[in-house]
Amino acid sequence: MAGMSFLVDTSRCTACRGCQIACKNWNQNGAGMTKNLGTHQNPPDLDGNTFKLVRFSEHLKDGKPVWYFFADQCRHCIEPPCKDAIQGYVDGGVIHDEETGAVVYTEKTKGVPVDEVRASCPYDIPRAKDDGTVVKCTMCIDRVRNGLKPACVKVCPTGAMNFGTRDEMMALAQERLAALKGKFPKAQLLDPDDVRTLYLVTDDPALYHPYAVAGVRPGISRKLALRKLFFAPARNVAKGLRMG
Amino acid sequence: MKLTRRDFLKISSAATAGLALGGCTTMGFNMQPVQEQAWRLRTQDAKETPTICCYCAVGCGIICHTDNRSGKVIYTEGDADHPINGGALCAKGAAAYQIARNEKRITKVLYRAPYSSRWEEKSWDWAIKEIAKRVKASRDKSFTVKNAKGQVVNRCDGIASVGSAALDNEECWIYQAMLRAMGLVYIEHQARI
Repeated sequence: MAGMSFLVDTSRCTACRGCQIACKNWNQNGAGMTKNLGTHQNPPDLDGNTFKLVRFSEHLKDGKPVWYFFADQCRHCIEPPCKDAIQGYVDGGVIHDEETGAVVYTEKTKGVPVDEVRASCPYDIPRAKDDGTVVKCTMCIDRVRNGLKPACVKVCPTGAMNFGTRDEMMALAQERLAALKGKFPKAQLLDPDDVRTLYLVTDDPALYHPYAVAGVRPGISRKLALRKLFFAPARNVAKGLRMG
Repeated sequence: MKLTRRDFLKISSAATAGLALGGCTTMGFNMQPVQEQAWRLRTQDAKETPTICCYCAVGCGIICHTDNRSGKVIYTEGDADHPINGGALCAKGAAAYQIARNEKRITKVLYRAPYSSRWEEKSWDWAIKEIAKRVKASRDKSFTVKNAKGQVVNRCDGIASVGSAALDNEECWIYQAMLRAMGLVYIEHQARI
C-alpha cells in the first residue's frame, strides 16, 4: 500500500499541455489525429499514442463562464480491475510493480480485446495501438525506478502535477485541499483511497469529465466475470498437469 | 496408494483451482511469482548537452540527450538546474525534440508568389536578396521626410517589426539599430506581447 502516488492539483493547472507532450516525448508516441470540436482538447480523446490528455470543459455557473482543465491519465488503482480483465486472457499482460504500485501493461496484451479492458476500467483509460497492443500510462516506471520523476511531473511549470511517495502526496493533497476549501466549498479529492493518481478538483467532478470518479457504470461485464472465474483457474490446472 | 512428488504437485494445483472456482477469485489470479523486470532508462548512456528553448522570450533551459553511437538526438527535457524554468517546460518546449527529429520539418526555402496556389523551392541567396529588395521598396515608398507641420521626421511608416524573442540583448541591439536606420518607429519585442 505504500509505494508512489501522483497528485494532480487541477486548481493550479493552466492547461498548457506540457504534460501531454512530455508524455509523448518520453514514451516515443507519435501524433494522433486532431479534430476541432470547439475546444482546445486535442487529440479529442486518449488513444494508442496518447496516454495523457488535458481535457477542457466549459460551463455556465450563476451566469458566469467557468473553464475546467483535467489532465486525465491512468489512476494506477491500488486494486486494478483491468489486471483481472487482462489476466483472464493472457498471463503476464500486466505487471503490478510492488515497489511503486505502478500498473504496467506489457507487449503480451497484444490481441486482448481492448473493449473488455476498457469496460473493466472505472476511469475509461486503456486504449489499443494499431497493432492491437493495449496501452496506457506506465507511471514512467523506467524513470521512476531510476530515481527520476515521471515526464509529465518533471515538465509541469505550475505545480499541478506532483509525484512522490504515497504518504508525501496524501499529506500535500490534504494541505492543498484545506487551503482551497475556503474559496471553493466543493473542493475534493477523487477516490483518494482507491487510486495512486490523486485528483484535487475545486467543483463537482462531473463538470470536469464524465469518468473523473469511479462508480458510474458497472465494473466488469458478465462475460468477463465468467471468464475470470473459469478460464484462468482452468489454465492453472492445465499448467499443473503439464508440469507433471 | 503411493504418492510421488509429481502427483502431489498435480493435486495441489488442481486444489488451488478448485478453491478459485469455489468463489475465492483472487487466489486464482495471484499465482504467478512476482515478475522481476529490469527497467532500463533509455537515456542511460546518452550525452547531455544544455541548450536554450528557441521559442518564446522566457528562455527556458533544456537538456538535449544525444545517442553516443548515432550522434542523433533521442530525447529532450527541461533542465532542472536552470534558474529560469527549474526543469519545467510548456507544450512547445516539451516538443523541442522535434526541432531535430521530424520528417515534416521544412529544410529548404519555400516561396509562394502572389496569387499563386503552389510553393516553389528557392535558394537562400535568392530569398535573402528578394527580402532586401522588397524591404527597400516598401521603405522608399512609405518614407516621410516632413510631417504635416513641416517638421523634419525622416520616418518610415510602412513597416513594423514584431518579434525577436530568441535573440539575446546584443543581437537585439544590432537589430533595432538596423530598423531605426531605416526610419522604423513601430518596433516591438516579443517579450512585451
